[in-house]
Amino acid sequence: MPVDSPPAPQPPLVLDTLANPGLPNDECPRRARIQLDLLLLAIEALDLGGGEAMLAISRELALEELVKNRVHLWLLRGTNPMRRYSQRRPLQIEEAKALVIIICTLARRLTVLVRQLLVGYQQLADKQLSPEHHFRLADYLSRFRNHFRARMNPRRAGVIAYSTDEKLDELAIQLLQQLLLCAGVLGSQRLWSSLFDGEVS
Amino acid sequence: MTVQRQYTLPHCNLVLEGLSANANDPLAPLTVLMNAECHLPGATDATLTGGREFLDSLVAAVSRYGQQLLSGVSSPYLGTTPPIVEVKPGEGACHHLIVHQQSLGEPLSDVNAQPPLDIKLTTVQFYDLLEAVDQLLADTQTLPDLTAQFQAVSRRLVQPTDPVAQRAAPAALGAAVLAAAGLALFFVPPPEFEPTRPGSESTTPAESSPNPLDTAPDPAVDEQSTELDDSSAELAAATSAAEDLERLETAPPITDAATIALLQSDVTRRLQEAWADAPRPSGDLAYRMVVSEDGDILGYKYENDLALTEVDNTPLPELTFARVDGAQPAREQMAQFIATFTAAGDVVVEPTNAPPPSASATAAAAEAEELPTLDNKITDGDRIRALNSALYDDILAELEPLSANEDLRFRVRLAESGDVVGYEPLNAAAGLLARETPLPRLVTTSDSVAPDSDRNQADFQVVFTEGGVLEVSPWDGWP
Repeated sequence: MPVDSPPAPQPPLVLDTLANPGLPNDECPRRARIQLDLLLLAIEALDLGGGEAMLAISRELALEELVKNRVHLWLLRGTNPMRRYSQRRPLQIEEAKALVIIICTLARRLTVLVRQLLVGYQQLADKQLSPEHHFRLADYLSRFRNHFRARMNPRRAGVIAYSTDEKLDELAIQLLQQLLLCAGVLGSQRLWSSLFDGEVS
Repeated sequence: MTVQRQYTLPHCNLVLEGLSANANDPLAPLTVLMNAECHLPGATDATLTGGREFLDSLVAAVSRYGQQLLSGVSSPYLGTTPPIVEVKPGEGACHHLIVHQQSLGEPLSDVNAQPPLDIKLTTVQFYDLLEAVDQLLADTQTLPDLTAQFQAVSRRLVQPTDPVAQRAAPAALGAAVLAAAGLALFFVPPPEFEPTRPGSESTTPAESSPNPLDTAPDPAVDEQSTELDDSSAELAAATSAAEDLERLETAPPITDAATIALLQSDVTRRLQEAWADAPRPSGDLAYRMVVSEDGDILGYKYENDLALTEVDNTPLPELTFARVDGAQPAREQMAQFIATFTAAGDVVVEPTNAPPPSASATAAAAEAEELPTLDNKITDGDRIRALNSALYDDILAELEPLSANEDLRFRVRLAESGDVVGYEPLNAAAGLLARETPLPRLVTTSDSVAPDSDRNQADFQVVFTEGGVLEVSPWDGWP
């Protein structure tokens, strides 16, 4: 049979594991957009080459249709309403799936480091010591604070809640724990499902 | 054949024992579970053991709590029987794994019930437990019927994070304040409202002034005021925004011609704009309107029968300004117009002849009325130039700063002798601010009216610009 047009592009197979959540429209809820961007921010704070690694993973997993290049990734992350340059565009479900896959793959690669940091944090907490005594942890926390303050709009109510170093450190540790949970075999599905908690009917 | 499956992580060791489906095939999946054991080295020395029920409960509880950690939204337990395994958040970064253990083979009773086992886990330990469970779920060779079930928490099941007392506090506070305010205001006497009308105002003091010591109310005054009240109530009831001109007709009329002209153009423009896309009537609709000094249409009345039936097609009901104090007699100045909505789609607004310009109208206003058309014009170019410069000098000599914020244009008529015969404002602002200009003082009324009509005259345009510059030029252009 002659074919006069190229076959319609198929969604990447790697996204098939993530079921559609059954939202009324194809756009991600607000909390999901914030959560995805913050997790990516935590990855960047953990790994200096995190931004490059995100693009490399999108190429490896054939997600280029959804995350095309650096600018496009920045646009996708800009759907976080807390951002300084927040984008008005919606985050489509497929694009969110691609971000989830990228987060979980990177989290899996960083599992050892994340475990070390969390164990160290736990030990310091048991001894009532501040996180500054752990070199890598203090490094992560300060880098996260810098990233957060450089990119988030300080006039937003959601950002004002994290105005102090202590609050930001808490958020960074919480994101570290969440990254660890994403690293498991079913991490991507669990993260995906958690994005829509309380949003579906 | 008994098969053993083991999932080992640094802080968790999950061991399953069971029977495979096919005893002869070493690769057959484990389908029947006999015993599940979970060791948590570093967290507890106790070994958690149980059958399928225990394993199912462990899987569900751990998976649900893992999702809760990611989203921050707690999902309620939906089962009917109390769960064997629960995971709850603890203080700081720790988590509580609570296991209700029950000795095997003994019925549950109060005697042999053991206290639940509470194991404190760090996040890393919990992650290992979660990962062991996830590996079991993902493993198709072990218990293939046990698969991961991810489901986002429904909106209906989300529990608000604030406790009930905290959520109810604002409402309770509001109710308490309302009650307190009600109690406090209970002792304040209600204010007594005594409507006073300007008519009764004038009579009451006159009646009571001869005997101020007499405190008993005068029955005559009472009757009169009640009558007045009755009539005003009836008036208010009968008053509709459309047809209460009788009351407004008593208002003082606007006599200033320039103001009337300004109102006329303003009302015409507003009516035309509002009427632009309305259906056209079959014939002319005529209405008599009362317009306030501010340009508000205060009332209107139809002048022909067609106007009554078609009133809803006109913009009048919408544009009519509803007065707040409907029963009060109007005190502000008003002008009456006849508005005609023609079948062709035009709106014609003309002042009525009903309020004739009264004698109290000022001389300036009278002089500012339209000048009659000029029959005998001065044709001598030199004379016109001379008159022009003379007029310019005369005005400039007496010119004071004006309060206008736009140009004031006048048409000024001069006799051949150089006397100012009269002037006419050309724009609305000029009509309103004519008194501020030197023009009224320049008019020489002694010999201007009748005898001059046969003498030669010339018209000049005088402009006081917004910037304070005076411009004078011949009306018909420079000769």
